[in-house]
Amino acid sequence: MYRIVVAHYVFSALCLVALATLLLFSTGDLFGNYFSPHLLAITHLAALGWGTSVIFGACYQLIPVVFETKLFSTKLPWIGFVMLAAGVILLASSFWRFDVGTYMQLAGALIVTAIVLFNATVMLTARQNKKAAAIYQEFISTACIWLFATALLGLLLVLNFRYIFLPKDHLHFLKLHAHMGIAGWFLLLIIGVSSKLIPMFLASRKQNEKLLNWSYYLINAALLAFLVDGYINGINYKTFAIAAAAVAGLVFYAIYIVQCFRSRLKKKIELPITNTLISYGLLAAAVLILPLIIYFHLQNDGRAVLYSNVYGFLIFIGWISSLILGQAFKTLPFIVWTRKYEDLAGRVKTPLPAELYSHSLLKVQTAAYTLFCACFFIGMLLQNSWLTLAGLICLLITSLTYIGNIFVLLSHKSARLK
Amino acid sequence: MKDFDINNPDVFLQIEIQENLRTVIDPELHVNIIDLGLVYEIEASQDNKHIAVLMTMSSRYCPMSEAILNSVRNCLEENYRGYSVEVNLTWEPPWSYELISEEGLKQLGR
Repeated sequence: MYRIVVAHYVFSALCLVALATLLLFSTGDLFGNYFSPHLLAITHLAALGWGTSVIFGACYQLIPVVFETKLFSTKLPWIGFVMLAAGVILLASSFWRFDVGTYMQLAGALIVTAIVLFNATVMLTARQNKKAAAIYQEFISTACIWLFATALLGLLLVLNFRYIFLPKDHLHFLKLHAHMGIAGWFLLLIIGVSSKLIPMFLASRKQNEKLLNWSYYLINAALLAFLVDGYINGINYKTFAIAAAAVAGLVFYAIYIVQCFRSRLKKKIELPITNTLISYGLLAAAVLILPLIIYFHLQNDGRAVLYSNVYGFLIFIGWISSLILGQAFKTLPFIVWTRKYEDLAGRVKTPLPAELYSHSLLKVQTAAYTLFCACFFIGMLLQNSWLTLAGLICLLITSLTYIGNIFVLLSHKSARLK
Repeated sequence: MKDFDINNPDVFLQIEIQENLRTVIDPELHVNIIDLGLVYEIEASQDNKHIAVLMTMSSRYCPMSEAILNSVRNCLEENYRGYSVEVNLTWEPPWSYELISEEGLKQLGR
């Protein structure tokens, strides 16, 4: 199990370095339409290679804990990993060259199969637990269904490039595809996992699960409404109300998290948790931009495209990335620690999981990432290419320090402390 | 944790075990399991050469449960060679923050 988890973390870190590098070569695309080969390649590298891959890895470790049973299989995750990695590399390279032929179709098929295998592992593991499912489990299971739906629509879009069969235009479906992925997969999964892990990391006294129930139903209802109404009518004035329902769901989750922080027994906020707080700020910024996108879209104002790009970057390179950049150093050290010290702990003095990675590198990473956010997003809004370029250089530094620290952690040798 | 019975001839062994278990640290909270209130009962018998620990975890979903239980087992096997060691996990009564000692709260920064 250790190797499969580590494989996902390493592949994900490599994808971050790759996407940070590719972004440096795509500065010309940043202010144009998001339906550009380079931006599509980078978005899929971010969503699947960087985000989904690390989530899969962490899930293989955490799902047995959340579902209180052993993982159904260890073979399926390995087959899924190979398919996901191959699929992501093929898909990103096909988008970059905009070769919509066999390779892109093969990539789509590989990714959908990898997701089916992941979902099968999660569902079959969940089925082994006969107890009533807690809300965290509902979030995770529903997120898996949305991920499959997102990938399936993605595959249909890829096939539609060659054999035009979809009844409406590509951009129309792209909005639905993107939001199934963002709200259905990432948001639900992150809420499900974080609402269990964050109070555990902070030793929070208060965990009001009723808030999470509201959050679950509001976000799912909003997403379903967006898909149905969005498919039939496209973006319209009702979209404001749908977005408001999703935001209300987020507010319930935010209240839950604030209560966890306020009732925490562990006073000191560690650097990985600081990254998590930054991620919530970036998510809030993305949510604030949503009404502007809808408004400018309805006015046929070109700013809708610019704000859509900022929104996409805030979601993928902002919220999701910041969360991973922090939480990787809350999850992976425990996985490595268990592997290296499970037999030694209790017999001799051993280091703590938080002592297995470089805190100096994490400080540099957090500083570089904060600078990236400041330069890049302000640069995007002001359409200043120098500021965005400075931001992207900071993102590359962030990615290099992150992967460096991952290797520091993985190459840790067991040591008995005196 | 329950009070020790001063009339029990094994009470000093039980107290010694409790002190030894203070070396087992919760890897996330950085506080030992005794001050966290995770250990509910320590039974020890010098005659039978047997130690039984009944303990809980701060959360049912704690990813480190197995590692903490192993650490307790390792600690007892290392310090009490020749004894049979039994470490049992219970969820009754559920752990709550009120079980953290003054010292534990201090270590958490409270």
